[in-house]
Parts: sequence; structure tokens; C-alpha cells
Amino acid sequence: MTGKEWGIVVVLLIIGLIIGYFAAAPSRTATITTTKTAVSTVTVTKTAGVPPPVTTTTQTTVAKKYADTITIGVTDKVSDLDPANAYDFYTWEVFNNIGEGPFKYKPGTTELTNGIIEDYKVENGGKVYILKLRKNLKFADGTPCTAKDLKWAIDRVARIKGDPAWFVLDFVNKTEVVDDYTLKITLKHPVAFYPAVLAVPTYFPIPPNKYPADKISSDNTAGSIGPYKITKWVRDQVLILETNPYYYGEKPKTHRIIIKFYKDATTMRLALESGEIDVAWRTLNPTDISDLKKNPNLQVVEGKGSFIRYIVFNTKIKPFDNKKVRQALAAALDRNAIAQRVFLGTVDPLYSLVPMGMWSHEDVFKEKYGEANLELAKKLLKEAGYSENNKLKVELWYTPSHYGDTEADVAALIKEAWEKTGMVEVTVKSAEWSTYLELTRKGQLPVTLYGWYPDYIDPDDYLYPFLHTSSNRWLGEPYSNPQLDKLLEEAQVALDHNKRAQLYKQVQQILADDSPIVPIFQGKLYVVANKNVHGIVLDPIMLLRYFLLYKEVGG
Amino acid sequence: MRTFGFSRFSCMVKDAGLDGYMMVFGLIIILITLIMAAFAEFIAPYNPVKIVGMPVVPPSPKFPWGTDTIGRDVFSRVVYGSRTILIVILMSTALSMSIGIPLGLISGYIGGKLDRTFSLIMDSIYAFPGLILAIAVAAMLGPGIYNTSISLAVVYIPTYFRMVRGQVLSLREQLFVEAARALGATDWRILRRYIFPSVFFIIAVVFSLNVADAILTEAGLSFLGLSVPSPTPDWGFDLKNGQRYFLSGKWWPVMFPGIMIILLALGFGLLGEGLNKVLGQKEVR
Amino acid sequence: MSLRAYVITRIFLTIPMILILLTLVFLVMRVLPGNPVIAMVGMKASPKYIKQLEHQLGLDKPLWLQYVDYLVDLMRGDFGRSMIWGKRIVIQEIMDHFPATLELTIGGFLVSVLLGLLTGMIAGIRSGGKLDASMRIYSIVVYSLFIPLLGMMLQLVFGVWLRALPVGGRIDPGLEPPTVTGLYIVDSILAMRLDSLLSALAHLALPSFTLGLVLSGIYTRLVRSSLMEVLGQDFIRACRARGLSGRIILFRHALKNALIPILTMMGLQFALLLAGAVLTETTFSWPGMGTFLVERITYRDFTTIQGSIVFYALFVALISLVVDIVYAYVDPRIRY
Repeated sequence: MTGKEWGIVVVLLIIGLIIGYFAAAPSRTATITTTKTAVSTVTVTKTAGVPPPVTTTTQTTVAKKYADTITIGVTDKVSDLDPANAYDFYTWEVFNNIGEGPFKYKPGTTELTNGIIEDYKVENGGKVYILKLRKNLKFADGTPCTAKDLKWAIDRVARIKGDPAWFVLDFVNKTEVVDDYTLKITLKHPVAFYPAVLAVPTYFPIPPNKYPADKISSDNTAGSIGPYKITKWVRDQVLILETNPYYYGEKPKTHRIIIKFYKDATTMRLALESGEIDVAWRTLNPTDISDLKKNPNLQVVEGKGSFIRYIVFNTKIKPFDNKKVRQALAAALDRNAIAQRVFLGTVDPLYSLVPMGMWSHEDVFKEKYGEANLELAKKLLKEAGYSENNKLKVELWYTPSHYGDTEADVAALIKEAWEKTGMVEVTVKSAEWSTYLELTRKGQLPVTLYGWYPDYIDPDDYLYPFLHTSSNRWLGEPYSNPQLDKLLEEAQVALDHNKRAQLYKQVQQILADDSPIVPIFQGKLYVVANKNVHGIVLDPIMLLRYFLLYKEVGG
Repeated sequence: MRTFGFSRFSCMVKDAGLDGYMMVFGLIIILITLIMAAFAEFIAPYNPVKIVGMPVVPPSPKFPWGTDTIGRDVFSRVVYGSRTILIVILMSTALSMSIGIPLGLISGYIGGKLDRTFSLIMDSIYAFPGLILAIAVAAMLGPGIYNTSISLAVVYIPTYFRMVRGQVLSLREQLFVEAARALGATDWRILRRYIFPSVFFIIAVVFSLNVADAILTEAGLSFLGLSVPSPTPDWGFDLKNGQRYFLSGKWWPVMFPGIMIILLALGFGLLGEGLNKVLGQKEVR
Repeated sequence: MSLRAYVITRIFLTIPMILILLTLVFLVMRVLPGNPVIAMVGMKASPKYIKQLEHQLGLDKPLWLQYVDYLVDLMRGDFGRSMIWGKRIVIQEIMDHFPATLELTIGGFLVSVLLGLLTGMIAGIRSGGKLDASMRIYSIVVYSLFIPLLGMMLQLVFGVWLRALPVGGRIDPGLEPPTVTGLYIVDSILAMRLDSLLSALAHLALPSFTLGLVLSGIYTRLVRSSLMEVLGQDFIRACRARGLSGRIILFRHALKNALIPILTMMGLQFALLLAGAVLTETTFSWPGMGTFLVERITYRDFTTIQGSIVFYALFVALISLVVDIVYAYVDPRIRY
């Protein structure tokens, strides 16, 4: 091949490169800015020299030998490094490590404790929250954080109206700065679980000089006020966190956390086995977890998740307006088969909408119907007028990608279990996520499969949106029960914990009896890590606290 | 008569050499698949949508091709799966032919502005990556046999259109057409009597090559979860569904449907190639 | 027609092409149920809030007005903002994913040309023989190989059994070179980062081989037929007569002429590469346009889907234009 042809090839390549060059221009400038911020933060650490006096406990723990860096692999993505628009679990996890809100959860529990506040007061029958901020709060760049900044952050969320804005818009009437360290939040109506809402990242203070006041800033690395700060961020590739010298609380044992974003679970698994990462976190395949359990160098840590899956009946579509039909299908459901066959035991069967491990949870469906109770199901179906010759026709809908590629198998197993009664004929149909939601909303789908990630850890979040007459419209199923409405409203404003628990237990009983929604299973959390990594705490909050992790070096 | 037909056929095959054998081989594969689809009830040992064993049991005498992710018989699913793919392919091809061929005939024969408009639309779709267009349409329409057929048809209408139009353009100026016109034949008659029959052979070739392509596109769509909903047996979807076990070394839920996709596409590919030579046409692709 | 006039005509011709595709996708997308607001907050937000967000994005306007608005913006080169997750600029979203696809398609293209040349030359030189026949069968068989199955088999063998090559992703997280072109191979060379280069090449190996192998059959035939045509021509016979050795004839003369048809096929080939890339990307978790588009389609991210379709159309048009120009340059007989 001579001159001319080579020339052509070269010309083509150059054209390709030019296209690529101009094509990549916007992202290129984006990276430059991020590197700049990264550099400046590094110099801040250096000039800071000795970090500001922290609690003395840190000094003693430093004496032990811990690895400087821990690498974590995930297959999740960070959506927006901006609390005003972040509304997915993984981004919230990152925020919980780089930021902190007025309240936070004690690791390992679902108990709330003070975050950036020293103290708070509830006034006016639960309508007014007065938050007293800690005095020594500083953002990751060293600028002090006061009540004014918290107010700014909360107001900003309301102004931007991002995806999680309803955490503010639905509850808050107004925010007022009383003094530098006191913020007064007036609610639209009393909400018993409002402290749990105050723990979500939407309420995290962010430095006003780094975030635009009325625009979403998706790749912002300014961070917030938590134990770590961001030192490097390449979207979908890597996130590096280093200890925030200005954090008011205890300093993490591990200085640097590297989070690697994998595109698929298998690659992450192979990286863990080859030692490229210390910790494999969300989300390994069930098959990989069962394989990795056999590896002697690795530990598999299991924890309860608070992710639940359930079947929704549209109580306005025949024949699901018949309580007996819903009850029969609830009785015939074989949750264990789904948990074992599809998920290899990485999920637990669930018998209430309130997940296991949360206060007031009761196995109401198990008590009432048992498990895969074909006798009862047949009896109920007969009472509803169905028989082997006159089968109940069910149209079961699922969505193929939103809940992972196991969803088709879940639908297939539900069909199998229901058809075992001999009196039911199931047709399975599917629709893509957006269509699925809209058709559900319009009330066109008789039986659907949905899942729920909690927004705040409270039974209210697992019951009110599903059963309360005005709030469950997204299910297209204006299922309505005045008695339930009353109980739920009462529980929402009752300030006494035992009273609330009592009310939620009643709600669950009615739920099981009416069966407009039938729970299937509750997810478990899995972290697979090297044997020498410690401090892995998994709880229903479902966030991995990087600041608790440490790795022993040497012996 | 039948023996005569067969011996003539076998002579044609022998004359065509490699192409003849390719064509026969392709025909055999297609025939086997057709038999599988037609007599699935008799061939498949189990109900394809019922759980009959533990999940991912390796091939054994009880389950010749093993069981799938939730314990259904892979062999039975593959046998029934041939129905799904053949029906989709048949419907989509029928649809794209019944739109593409008449449009091509009319457009090529009439010419002028109409021809230019049609050609522009068809060329736009033709130049665009087919699978991507099919994905967009299929995802919007939602899963289901009819919807998948429609989205495939959209992609393949231009293929038939272009091929037929090209033929017509070259035929239109030929002597026998001119003669017919001079004798006062109507346009419709010319199209039907003179042009369509000459186009017919090339349609056969393009048909098989195109079906080979459509099989891969359909399998691709169902691999992306955009074809028929579970638990309908479907090769592409079953392959996708078994993927999460594949790298753990459990290959049977993936391999068998995958091999069938390849074989069927190959069958039509070979048939098309063979037909091309045996019918003495020029290369079309 | 001069070349310049031709180029201008071609550019004008891409406009109706884009319009046709865009209209098709626009209509199908908006008429059928589902929209990005519902996909993002549909489970938890109140109907009133959803209405409000739909209003914010202009989704409550009449369909024709939305269409006209979009076209007007597009005319000004404004692809708009994504309607989900951070509402990033569509162009930026596309450019975050397109270099990955470009890298994969170039890799696949090179593999297919190399394999195609090799097999085509074998077939062309040994035309009529057993090798020729087997190469013909090769070309049909590889085209039938279903990309996901082929890819998964390669993953199993090279990724899991031999642990020689990675099974997914573009590069080891953390090794990505500073972005200049977005093509990791080029960027690593520019940044003089050997580790990045090796990692990027290792990640590219299986996907581009998968894509390239499947499409190489087309070149096998092309190279074979053009080689045979060239070998039968007078000037080759003249070369032979002058005593030039077979190899020199083959490489210096015959191959050179055989390359021209390859070039003409490139335009169409690129559409095939882009389509094949979607499945390759899904199989290998390659973060390119294909996986991106599929993801956004399930969320009905209208602007991003429309933008991507327009972009794909532009890209395909550009490639075929470039091919035509180069072709005209190579073969002076062609005039437009």
C-alpha cells in the first residue's frame, strides 16, 4: 500500500480525531475545573498544616496501624452531587459521608441522633422546630457554617424544585434565622416523623459560595460538612474522598476512600478477587455472592435492607374489587420460592408493608394466610364464584429493567404460584418504566409489581403513601378506607411513640384483611470484603459508612 | 411429476456446486426449525412455562439441555421459542413486503416528484442504523408479538422498497415494457404482467438474506428486553435471562437458545446465498 | 457538478433525513404513554407536583408547538437539556458517551478490515479451491454470529477462565487519562500514560474483536471479488510478464486496487457498526451511546432521545459524505 492510500487512512483518522476533539469539548472544560478545585483543596490541607483541634479520642486511635486507603467498588452511579437534585440511594450514601444534616442515624440502628445540631425543641404542637446548631461547624474548605447557611440550603431546594424538593415543599411553611446558631422551621402541619425527614441529604448544609443559588450543580465537589471531603471526581469512573480536617466529630480511621464505579457486577467481582478493590458493595449478583461465600480470603457481610417489593391490585378493576379474590391470591403466593429460586436466598420473604427490623412490624400476612396456602386460596376462590372450569383471569404486569433483570423471573414465579390453585389463569405483560408508571397512574393496569425504597425511616413512609386515600393515587388505585385514613392521620401527628406503634399495628391488620397490596419480599444488603477490612456496619438505613471502615496492616 | 421435480432440483443443486449444497443445508436448518415450531407439543418433553425442576440443573437425561434460571426445561423452551421468533419474523416480513414492494413498484414506475419523496424517506431510514431505530420504536410501542413485528417492519421496509424500485427503474425502459405500452396496456397491467414477475426472483433472494438479518435484529431486541414479555419462550430473551449465570460457568441456559439464533440466521443466510447463484442472479447484497 | 457543489447538496440532503427520523421518533414517543417526569418522580410525588414539573418542562403544551419549539431550537444548534437527573445539557451528555462508541466502532472497524483483508486475500488467491470455499462459508457464518452470545463466550474464556482480559467497562476505574479527545487510547498517548493505554487496550480487545469479527465477512467477499478482478486485469499480467514476484504484485498493485471497494462500503459499514455496537456495548457494559440511549429510552428522556437520534443521523451522514469525498479523490473518474 503506497502513499495515496496511507494518506487516505491518515486523513480519515485525523477527521475522526477532530470530531472527537470538538465532540468532547464541553466535558473537557468540565474536567479542567474539577482538577482545579481538587488542586486547591489539596493546598488547603497543606497550608492548614496541623488540622484544627479535634476530639482527643482520634489521637489515641491513630497510634494503631491502619491502612491509609480503602478502595470500594460499586456498580451504582452518582446522579447529582447537589443535594437539591440528588434523589437516589447511592448519591445519598456519598452525601452521608461528605455531609451531615440536623439529624443522623446511629450506625447499626434506625435510631435518630443529633447531627449538626446540639439540641432542638418542638413547639406549637409539633408545628415548629427550633434547631440549635453546633458552634464549631465548618465546611470542607474551612468557611464556617451557621444557621444562615442551613436556611440558604433548605430554601435553595425549594427554589430549584428538583426531584427531592417535596421533602421541603410538602412540609415546610417557612424557615427563619433566629441567631447565628438557631434556625426556626415552621411546618405546614405537625408531622411526627419530621426529624427523620431532617436526616435526608436534601437538608444538608452546603457552602453558599460554591453552589449556584438557583441552578443545579451536578458535578460539584465542594462537598458539605461531613467526615470526608471530595478530592477527585470523574463521573462514572472514580470518586476519591479524604478526611475533612474541619469535621467537628471523630476523625475516620482511614484517611482516603477510593470509590471505583464499575459498569457491571461481574467486573466488580473479578476486581475483588484479584485484590484491586477491598470492598465490593452495591450491587453484586446473587450468583456472585453465593460463589464468593466459598472464597476463604473474603468475608460476606449480610444486613437487613429496607427495600421492599409488593403486588398492587387495582381495586377498581374487576374482579379485583372483590376482597375474596385479592385474599385468595395473597394466600396462594409463594414468597419462599421467589426468594430461593430467583434470588438464591439474598432476599427475605416479607409479610407486611412495614419491613422487618422496623418498629411496629408484624407478620400480618403470614398470620392470616400462611405461606403458599393453596387450600385457603381455593376456598376463597370458590366463595368468589370461581372453579376449575370457570377460572379467574389475571393480567399481571411487570417492568423489565427498572428492578433488575430478575424481574421477569419474579413475574413467572408469581404466575406459577397462582396457577397452582388450578382456578387461576395468569397472563403476564410488561411495559417500560415510564409507560408502566403512567398506565398505572391512569388506573389501567389491574395487577402490578412495584418496589419501594424508603425516603425516611419511619413506618409512615411504608403505609401512608400506599393506603391513605389521597396519597396512593400514583397506584392508580384509589383504594380508600376511611378507617385506615383516620388511623394513618392520627399516627402521623401523634407524638407518643407507643401510641404510634399501636396505630400502625392496627393499620397492618386491616391491610392484611383487605389485601389491596400484598408484600413479596424485603431486600438484604451484602458487602463482600477482604478479611482484613473491619467496621462494616449494615443497617436498614442502607448506607455504608465509609468513616467507620478501617483495614489492619501487617499482622 | 414429483420425482421429476426432485431430480431436476438435485441437478440444479449439483450444477451450482458449493452454492447448491449451501442452499440445501440452509433449507434443512429452516425445515428443522419449522418442524420444531409446528410440532412443539410433541417434541418438547415439558411445558415450557412451568417449573419442572431445580434452577440451573446441568444437562442430564431428565433435562437434556438442563433447566433455566427458575427451573424450567431449556430444551422445551427452545422448541417453543422457535414459534415466537418465526411468527415475529413472518409477520414483520409480510408487513414490510406489503408496504415496501408496492411502494417501490409505484415509485419506480411513476417516477418524478413522488419517486423523489418516497426515495428520500426510505433512504433516510435505510441509512440509519437499523437496530437503533428498532429499539426506539419497540421501546415506545411496548413489548408484544405485534409490536415487535411492527418495529422490525419499519426497519426493513426500505430494503424491499429500494430493491424493487431499482429493478423497476431498469425494467421500465426495456423493450418489452415499451412494446406493451405502445400496444396500449394500462400502467396497472404493465406493472402486474411484466414488471412484477421479473422482480419476483430477486425478491426471493432478498427475502432470505433479509430474514437472516431480521432474525438477528429480533434476537437483539429481545436480548434488550424489548420483545415479548416473559414467560413466553423466546430465544433472545432466554439468553438474556440466563446471562447472570453464564460467567459462573453455567452455560446451558444461554448457549442453547444462542446457538439456535445463530443456526436459524445462518440457515436463511445460506439459503439466500444459494438461491442467488442457483437462480442465476447477480449478487444483491 | 463540482465537488464543492456536491458537498453542499449532500449537506442539504441530510436535513430532510434528520427531519424524517426526528418526526418519526417524536411522534411515536409523545403519542404513546410515558414521560420523563413520571419516570423520575412518578411513584412518590403528588399529581399536582407532577403537573407543575410537566409545566416546567413545557410538556403540557400542544404537541405541534413542542415540535416546532424543538425544531427552532435545533436550528440554532441548541439540543436543549436532558429532562431527567440533573437536567444536563444534551450535547454534553452525548459527548460523554459518544467517544466510547467511536473508540469501539473504530476498533471494530480495524478488526473487521484486518480479518476481511486476510480472509479475502486467501480466498482471492486460492480462488475456486477448498480454501476459497471455506472463506466464503466463513463470511456467511460470521455474519450470523449473534453478538451477545459471541461476546459472552469470549468473556467466559478470556475473562473468567484465563483471567487474561477484562470483561466489562472501558478502563480500570482510576486510570482514565485526562480528557482531550475522549478516546482513551488517544488520550493516554497524549498524556504519555502507559498504564492507561494498556488498560484501555485490554478493555477494548474483546468488544472490538466481537464487533469486528461479525462484520468482517462483508469485507471478505469484497476483497475477494475485487482481488480476482484486479488479478485478471492486463496490468497485472504485464507485471507478471516483467518478472515481478507474486508477492510484490499482490501487495503493491493488486491490493491497492482492491482497497477501493472497501472504501465505498465504509459508509454503509458504519451504520452496521453503530447498530452492532449497541449489542456489543450492552454485553460488555461499555458506557457508550448504545447503552446510554437504551437507558434513556426507558425513562422517556425526550430531549436526550431526540438529540441522540439527530446526532446519530448527522454522524452517519457525515461518514458517508467523507467516504464519498475520499472516494472521489481516490478515483478521479468519479465526478458529481
